[in-house]
This record gives sequence, structure tokens and C-alpha cells, in this order.
Amino acid sequence: MEIRELQAADLPELMKIETDLFTSEAWKENSFRSEIEGRFTDYFGAFDGELIGYAGLHSVPASFSSDIQTLAVGAAHQSKGLGRTLARKLIAKAFALGSEAVFLEVRADNQSAISLYSSLGFKQIDIRKNYYQDSAIDALVMRLALNQPIVLGIESSCDETGIGIVKGNRLLANALHSSMDEHAKFGGVVPEVAARAHLEALQPTIVQALKDANLSMNQIDAIAVANGPGLAGALMVGIGAAKALALAHNKPIYAVNHLVGHVGADVLENGTVSLPTIALLVSGGHTSLLLVRDLLDDVELLGETIDDAAGEAFDKVARVLGLPYPGGPQIDKLAETGNPKAIRFPRGLSLPKDMEAHRFDFSFSGLKTAVARHVEKAVDNGLELSKADVAASFREAVVDVLLTKAINACEAHGVKKLLLGGGVVANARLRQVAKIRCDEAGIELRIPRFSLCTDNGAMIASIGAQLMMAGRPPSNLGFGAESTLEVTKVQTL
Amino acid sequence: MILAIDTSAGTSAAVFDGTKQLSFVNFDDRFGHAENIGLAIQGAFSKAGITPAELTLVAVGRGPAPYTGLRVGVAAGIAMATALGIPACGVITLNAVARKHPVGRILVVADAKRKELFIAGFQDGEQVIPPSVATHQELEDYSSFRQVPGECDASVIGEYLIWAKAQNLDLTDTSALYLRSPDVTPSAGKRVTG
Repeated sequence: MEIRELQAADLPELMKIETDLFTSEAWKENSFRSEIEGRFTDYFGAFDGELIGYAGLHSVPASFSSDIQTLAVGAAHQSKGLGRTLARKLIAKAFALGSEAVFLEVRADNQSAISLYSSLGFKQIDIRKNYYQDSAIDALVMRLALNQPIVLGIESSCDETGIGIVKGNRLLANALHSSMDEHAKFGGVVPEVAARAHLEALQPTIVQALKDANLSMNQIDAIAVANGPGLAGALMVGIGAAKALALAHNKPIYAVNHLVGHVGADVLENGTVSLPTIALLVSGGHTSLLLVRDLLDDVELLGETIDDAAGEAFDKVARVLGLPYPGGPQIDKLAETGNPKAIRFPRGLSLPKDMEAHRFDFSFSGLKTAVARHVEKAVDNGLELSKADVAASFREAVVDVLLTKAINACEAHGVKKLLLGGGVVANARLRQVAKIRCDEAGIELRIPRFSLCTDNGAMIASIGAQLMMAGRPPSNLGFGAESTLEVTKVQTL
Repeated sequence: MILAIDTSAGTSAAVFDGTKQLSFVNFDDRFGHAENIGLAIQGAFSKAGITPAELTLVAVGRGPAPYTGLRVGVAAGIAMATALGIPACGVITLNAVARKHPVGRILVVADAKRKELFIAGFQDGEQVIPPSVATHQELEDYSSFRQVPGECDASVIGEYLIWAKAQNLDLTDTSALYLRSPDVTPSAGKRVTG
């Protein structure tokens, strides 16, 4: 016997069972069709040569609950445990989706169904009089509580020490300590300075997260930690701490991918990541374009920067303009009074010849040099230099190339969704142009709140929770930091 | 019950009951600290036959030692103590090694990478030169000292801790002992056109 998701093609077989079992109370084929094709429903069929049973679940994202819509086993196949198998399949699905409760209605005279649900842990919470009108039978409303895992996540891949706590898809705490100020005098993140800051911030940030979540360590079900990509020395601080936290209370540990964490952050915002989606992750360390078909199993890197990250370009141009680190907010502010069309700065890897090898890759090194040339030429020749125009034109070039490629990726892959993540999402112009261009192209745009866009521990905890909810095994204790970890490797076992 | 952790050279963990060492697990690999730290601690617990809940104190080696590896052990020690709600103590590795040589004039010498050394001097157990960085050349200034290799591990850390506790020494500082500033200078920014 095989259990798989139902498709519209299964409807004729399904209707035979449905009308046979439920006669006058049977659902119509059209109702089933819209259920099976629904965005928030999951229908499964049990097949043994032919369809012998089916069951459906309805789960609205961020409601943290699911409803069992129907469960039926063909007359010739009853009393063999198939109803239980299908019910368990729905419960596992509800759990994986982050539901904290499963509800159902059952006919008060259906003793075998009631005892099946009771044995699975469902409790009667209400009774609906004469719910089945044709037969004037009451419906019992039953509820199963699901204990979603509480996961503490550690992020230390760059200059933010993040400790986040989630319960399933629910955000409980997102404590953060940034060493950004310590890097300011160097004009960029210094790995050794970052690693030292992580070690100092570790204990207070853990304590803060537990306090925010109103939990103690022994209530944490698992530990998740980002083991790459990122700065090796910085990652190793988080890994050392994570392993000790896991051992202290004998809890499982999950080594997860930092970049996939940025995509997982959307789960905490919206209760789910609407998939498939294109994700554009832009920060001081990364500029990556991903195609995410499945958060845990199918993340594809479409392209990334071949030199500087976009955030790094902002920092370098800020320095050229005599602005302090970090450059993003400084340039954003200055650009407000400048003309974005004053100077036509180059769009890296956007020429026809680049389309073959680098269609979805980025390059910002040439752009930074072009800005520096422009500024030096003006200064050398005693020309008037509008820093605001330079800032606005530079920002426009970055935003243009990021979104042109992201939207091309959506169209090339027939995916009408774009998710933004990373610290550069704080850039007002990026958000503004993203909205305009996505609206024009009919693409659904998702931008999590800023504290979930920048590096944070909650996004790491979220991936750990997703792995647990899907029943994945924990990582072995011997994993290390992988500074160039590939995005396809969501979990390091 | 004490858990001692040290990642100043290899990666090691040891469990002590009172003054008795119950277990010691060491990974010699000088680069695999992040990989081995969990295995070392887990091994030390299982060899000692104890659960983490039985611990009353965690001791970490603070170095001085190569920073990247050193931080792994300190991070693990601090996290373990935080998770269990018990105190953490920090031990300077050179002091712990010197404790094994209570007589005479000794200089504990450990590799500091970049052709430099971490040193500390002792006269009959009393510190006369604080932990510092020295070149091989500068080592000649200490010819009156007998040189002792500064290699440390969790067993040495634990033994020192037990002795130091009895002397009422203050070991509350668990910060990594770097002795050098991060090796960077702010960039002045350079021209791209000639």
C-alpha cells in the first residue's frame, strides 16, 4: 500500500467511495476538487492497486491549528488499521506545518471513529446539536494538542551574536548583540574583532533570550546553530557554545545553513514560507539569489556575487565619500536629496555577453571603482562634486541590478514570489523599487520585519524547528564550521 | 563534581570528583576544536559515569593560546555553566603548567604562532614574570630560567583549579587571555586612479 497526495485525476475513484459510504451526506465532486486544489489543504490517498481510502487536512498559516476535513476508508478495507494510518499521516502533516492543535467533527453515533480518535489523543471539547441535519445526529468536536518543539538557535557567522528561541513556527525570543560599532573604525568587519565580541556577548545574550521567552534551559527541546557559511573563527564560537548547551541537558543539536536561515525567517513572520519562491539575500557578506522549492530539501543557488557583496559595496563607497561605517544607512540618507539619474554608473554582469555564464550572478567591484574614479576625477579637476548625486546614482545602480536579476529569475523559473532577506533590505530605495517592480510583474513580494532580515538567532532556531517537525534526525556531535558551506546543504549531519 | 575544559593546544575535557580525576578525554588535533569539543565533553561525562546535572563547577583554560581554538573551549565552558546554572572559573594555562614545577626558577613557554611565544616566569611557585608575548630572540633574556614546555590540557586545568580553590584564589574571570590586539590597522583608503 502506498500513501500519496491526491490529485484531481483521482476524483472519479474517490467519488465512488464517498457516495457509497456517505450516500445523501456525500460531498459533491466539485467540492472535493476545490479542496484538493486548495492552497491551504493537504489531501492524501491510500492506494492498493486502486484508491482504498483518503483523508484531508485544512491549515491556515499563522493560525497554528489544523482541521481534519474528512477521513474515509472504502467499505471492503475497513477495520484493518487504515483509518489510523491516514489519521496519523494528517497529524504528522499538521505537526510539520506548525499546528499546535488539530480539530475535527465526528458523528456522535460513529463509535469506531470516536474510539480511533480518542486513542490518538483527541479529546471531546464541544457538541454540536443536530449537526448532521438529514439524520438529526449530533457532532462531537474533538481536539488534539500538539507540542511543537522549543528550539534555541545560535547565530555567529559575522558580526551579530544572535540567540533566538522558537516554538514550532512561533517566535518566542530574538536576542541580539551586534559588534558593528567595534568595526566602525576599521571601515568593515574584522574577523578577529567579531570573534572576540561573540565570546563576550555569548552569556548575556543567552540569558536575555531565555528571559524574553520566559523559559529556563531545561525547557528547551533542541539546540540549532549556524555552522556556515560565514567567518570560520566567528562560527566556531557559536558551535562551541551550542554543543555545550545541547550536552548540558542531553538535547539534540542541529547544524544548519545560515543562508537558508534567512529564508526560514519568513516562517516566523507568516507562519509558512509560501513555496516555491525566489529569495534575494543581500548583506555585507552575501549577495545570493536562491530558488527555494522546499525549505529543507530543495534550495538551489541560482547566482551570487563574484566579488564584493552589495553591503560591502555600500561600505566602500561610503568611505570614498568620506562617510562613516556602516555605509548603507549613510548613503541611504544622503541619496534622499540626490538625483539617481545624475550619473549612469555601470550595472555589473548585465551585458548580453554576461547572460550565458553569469545571468544571475552579481559583481559590485567595478561599480565601486567607477564611483571612486568619478569622485577622484572631480576632485583632481577642481570640479563641483554633488555627493548626494553620487550616493543616489550609486544606490540606484545597486538596487537596479539586484532587482532586475531577481525579477528575471522569477520569470525564468515561472515563480511568482520574491522573498527579500539580509541587512541591505533596510535600504529604503531597495524596498521601494522592489514593491513597484513586483507589482508591475505580478509577483508576490515578502519582506520579513527588519529584525528577522538581518542576521539573527531566531531564523537559525526556525530551521532547527522545521527539521524536527519534519522528523529529521539531529546532527552528529562532530560537525565543524564550514565557511563556504553550500546553500544546498541545509543541515550538516 | 567539576568539569574542566581546555582548547589551548588540542581539545580536552576532564571530570573531577573532589580532588580525584574520574575521566580525561583528549583530541590531539590542533585545528579540530569546533569538531571535537562536544565529543570530548560527552566522552568525559560517559567515562566518569556521571550526568551533567551532577556538576557543581566548570573550569576553562583561558590561554594564552592560539585564539581561534582557545575561544571554542571558553565558549563551551561558559555555555555549560550558564545552561546548568552553576559557576564557571577561568584558569591561565601557563599558571596551571607552572604549578607542576613548584621548585626553582622556571619559564613556561608556549607557542603563540607568528614566530612568537607566550611566556610566564616563576620562582619557587611565585609568579615573577606575568603572561606575556616574546620573540625567540627575547627568550635569550631569560637564560637564568629553566624552560618548561607550556603545553596544557583539561587535566592540568582541573588539578590547578582544585589547588587554587584551596588557596582561595580568585578565578572568576573566564575571558580569553589574548595578550595581543586584533592584528588590524584602520585603512586610509587608496586611490583607484594613478
